[in-house]
Amino acid sequence: MTAGITEFIPADVRARLRDLRLLARRPSGSPGFGAHPSRSRGAGLEFSQYRAYQQGDDPRQVDWKLHARSDRYYVREAERDSPLEAWLLVDATASMAQGDAARPGWSRLDAARGIAACVIELAMRQGDRFGLVTIGGEGVAMVPAEGGPRQRNRCLLHLHRLQAAGTWPAAASLRVVGERVGPGALALVLSDCFEESCVTLAERLSAARREVLSVQILTAEERDFPFRGGYRFTDPESGEELLSDGASAREGFLERFAAARRALASRLAGQGIRHVEYVLDQPLDAPLQRLFGKASGDADSERT
Amino acid sequence: MSFGLLLPAGLATLFALLLPLLLHLHRRTEQQPAMFAALRWLQGRQRPQRRIRFEEWLLLALRLLLLAVLALLVAQPVLYGVSGDERWVVVAPGIDGAQARAAVAAPDAAWHWLAPGFPALERDPPAGTQPLGSLLRELDATLREDAPVTVVVPARLGGLDGERPALRRDVEWRVLEVDANPTPVAPPAPLTLAVRHALPDDPALRYLRAAGAAWGAAAAGPAAKRASIQIAPASEPIGPDVRGLVWLVPGAVPPELRAWIEAGGTALLDAAAEVPGSDAGIALWRSAGGEALVLGRAMGNGRVMQLTRELAPATLPEVLDPDFPDHLRALFDPLPPPSSAYAAAHSPRPGGPELPPKPRPLHPWLALLVASLFALERWFATSHHRERAA
Repeated sequence: MTAGITEFIPADVRARLRDLRLLARRPSGSPGFGAHPSRSRGAGLEFSQYRAYQQGDDPRQVDWKLHARSDRYYVREAERDSPLEAWLLVDATASMAQGDAARPGWSRLDAARGIAACVIELAMRQGDRFGLVTIGGEGVAMVPAEGGPRQRNRCLLHLHRLQAAGTWPAAASLRVVGERVGPGALALVLSDCFEESCVTLAERLSAARREVLSVQILTAEERDFPFRGGYRFTDPESGEELLSDGASAREGFLERFAAARRALASRLAGQGIRHVEYVLDQPLDAPLQRLFGKASGDADSERT
Repeated sequence: MSFGLLLPAGLATLFALLLPLLLHLHRRTEQQPAMFAALRWLQGRQRPQRRIRFEEWLLLALRLLLLAVLALLVAQPVLYGVSGDERWVVVAPGIDGAQARAAVAAPDAAWHWLAPGFPALERDPPAGTQPLGSLLRELDATLREDAPVTVVVPARLGGLDGERPALRRDVEWRVLEVDANPTPVAPPAPLTLAVRHALPDDPALRYLRAAGAAWGAAAAGPAAKRASIQIAPASEPIGPDVRGLVWLVPGAVPPELRAWIEAGGTALLDAAAEVPGSDAGIALWRSAGGEALVLGRAMGNGRVMQLTRELAPATLPEVLDPDFPDHLRALFDPLPPPSSAYAAAHSPRPGGPELPPKPRPLHPWLALLVASLFALERWFATSHHRERAA
């Protein structure tokens, strides 16, 4: 089993991960010291502000030089770097079992596992806390956020046992996700985003001041539609079937599907959710490079 | 050269051509299953496509061809008039092949022995006396009407059948003066005639005994004339050397006797004897007035003859004639037709029967074609699939 777990990240991807850092655009709200800018103020190197002394402040924090100049008590505050809490939301519904005929045995879920393992690796390296939420036919399963190698192993084991089955659970059972993923946490959604309630969940989390990132995992067949001849297409979740001729259906499908993806991207962007697409024939770190790589960092800094 | 079908109804098997057509159509409509989660964007505008379209044209064509050839094979196609107008030289056995080649200057002709199957002259000469007259008629019916034929025969011919063969064509009748004497026909072995009677004082026995005595008197003559007679009651078994039997017992013939006749014996039955399945037969002995005295027919491997009247002077006055022993003898050992003649006097005469041309069957070639088509189809089908799977 250990061999299977370590296989989640190919060697070349692991090598490229070295340049990546998990970055949140919002300041972290987690207590403790870490590598991320935080909302919490206190003693530290980076000056933030002066504020009036309040009863209960540590006298050591009073800026005595300023008191000498102004005869008032000011407390010097500094920004404190906090650790990030990263949550991985992995879709494990039946549609995630879909793969490409060109590469059998490589499904959306496998890709999701790989990406999740990469993020776990990054978070562990930065000393961040990370947790795992899997949402599938059996409901919501969770590995509470912690840090360290043991937590990583717990998460990887959980991912390893994960099977893609069933449909998206009812909204009521998803409430626990919002409770567990604390404010200021970074939530990375790994899903095909075909399910409306999946998008709704991401939007709700984002609206509740969680930093939500979304990776839409698509198969190469959905991108290229290489079907020729008669096919019986089956939706793995609803069980619906559609008899269609591959060649004649191609154009319409590609057009509509691209429109749907554009609509989804703009909708998520409107909610402040960073959204990238990942196609199964791309390297595993491609979405992470786009989310956390240098190019994305520059783009973010320009935007802010 | 023309093409014909011996069994045109066999072409009904061409309906089998529908089989691969349906097969290919069905395979076409067979939908491959595919998991596809983005189904809702596929559903938008569904254009049902039910155009008849075949896939794998080449394979389909091969299969259709295979079935068409099979149907043709069932219809038994033949080619008329292909056994060409080549010159045939047939050599009767008894002549040396080289001698015949020297006598007839036909270097590009087909040389054959005048023997069953017409083997090539290079083969060993066939042994024994061949039925030459029958073979000549067969050759005439086999070859095309205008094909020239030369027959090389020795001066004396054996194996004839009493008639000058009448052929459709004028054959070149080449007689070679070789001292090949036809093997004489073996004379029949001496006849031992057994008489089985129901009553020891049957008046017929007198005349049979007299005939036996007449044969005994001629015992000094040639072997063919020799004969003896054994008279015994019906209960006596028939000896192994007996070839002829006179059965003077009225009523149904016992099964042992029938078995003996069917094994190759010749029996003359009393007028009152009954043998099952007896029909008229042909008259073997007629009276001077033309009435049939003895009717004969084949029974198994043997012959059964039956007197039409009682063997007594009152009903059959011929028993009193001096040639009664000879007639009786001839019933059991009929004279063979003359079988040898001088070749010069036995040349075939024209005016043979008009025969339909002998067609040449195309089975072997078609079977070969079917086999190769089948092999090709299999190879194509399997290699095609391998290619697809890869």
